[in-house]
Amino acid sequence: MAEFSWVSRSPLQHALVAGAYGARDVEPGVSLTEVRNFELIQIMARRGRWADLASAAKTRFGVAAPDVPKAIQSPDAALIWSGPDQFLVLSKGGKHTFAPLSQAFSQSASLSDQSHARALIGVSGAKARTMLAKLSSIDLHPTVFPIGAAAATSIDHTSVNLWRGNDRPDGQAVFNLLVFATFAESLWHTILDAAAEYGVSIAYAEELA
Amino acid sequence: MRIVCPFCGERELGEFTYLGDAKPVRPAAGASEDEVFDYVYLRDNVAGETSEHWYHGGGCRAWLKIARNTLTHEISSVEPAAGVGAAKVGA
Repeated sequence: MAEFSWVSRSPLQHALVAGAYGARDVEPGVSLTEVRNFELIQIMARRGRWADLASAAKTRFGVAAPDVPKAIQSPDAALIWSGPDQFLVLSKGGKHTFAPLSQAFSQSASLSDQSHARALIGVSGAKARTMLAKLSSIDLHPTVFPIGAAAATSIDHTSVNLWRGNDRPDGQAVFNLLVFATFAESLWHTILDAAAEYGVSIAYAEELA
Repeated sequence: MRIVCPFCGERELGEFTYLGDAKPVRPAAGASEDEVFDYVYLRDNVAGETSEHWYHGGGCRAWLKIARNTLTHEISSVEPAAGVGAAKVGA
């Protein structure tokens, strides 16, 4: 019998070419960083059980679960609001995988493992907000979209979870995008088209920003 | 046109899908054929205030019940449809 070795690959394995893209004679205005190999679990409260879920989440993560569009950072995970009575748990290094979370929330919620079902793209740089304004009607100005703000929205007719992570060390805002794996390449090219005029610096990372 | 989603805030029309009239109520199991026919097929073509179901598929994926004036497109209320975001309904 044939032996198969299953190796997980990023949905952007082909499309992402690390390095420079677009305008070359300027300092890159947009930097795109794909984060690979993360755990992502969708948690949805059963009907009428949000209070139970919120309390179990507080016990498990040590922070309150988001009940409005926000991304809440715990010491080892990000809890990202994804809709009424539901949120995503994003983490690295096997700290919050499907099995233990299923145990923790078995009384109050239904869970679904999305670890290999989404691509995670971090958008930053001096022109990040200008570039995203071409693609999204969400107001990303820091006064209304501070660190931790989140939105479930669409970019180029593609559903995304968008949230603002911690600023980069140089003070630039970071906008994180979670997109369905099979739409990742399409969205990636849309973003490259929008960002090309500002000069783009492309990379991938193993660590969450 | 923009819709203020009770969960997400103000969003553009493109994120929403129109389902239809929110008024018809499913008849009881023993209802007559006429009643079922009315429920399935017959809709009023209202010029004025209507109650409609919309779906925020491009956002939080909640079903919404919206009161809209078909003459002015003015939206007077947006609320979660029954069973959606149970924690927030009636809050």
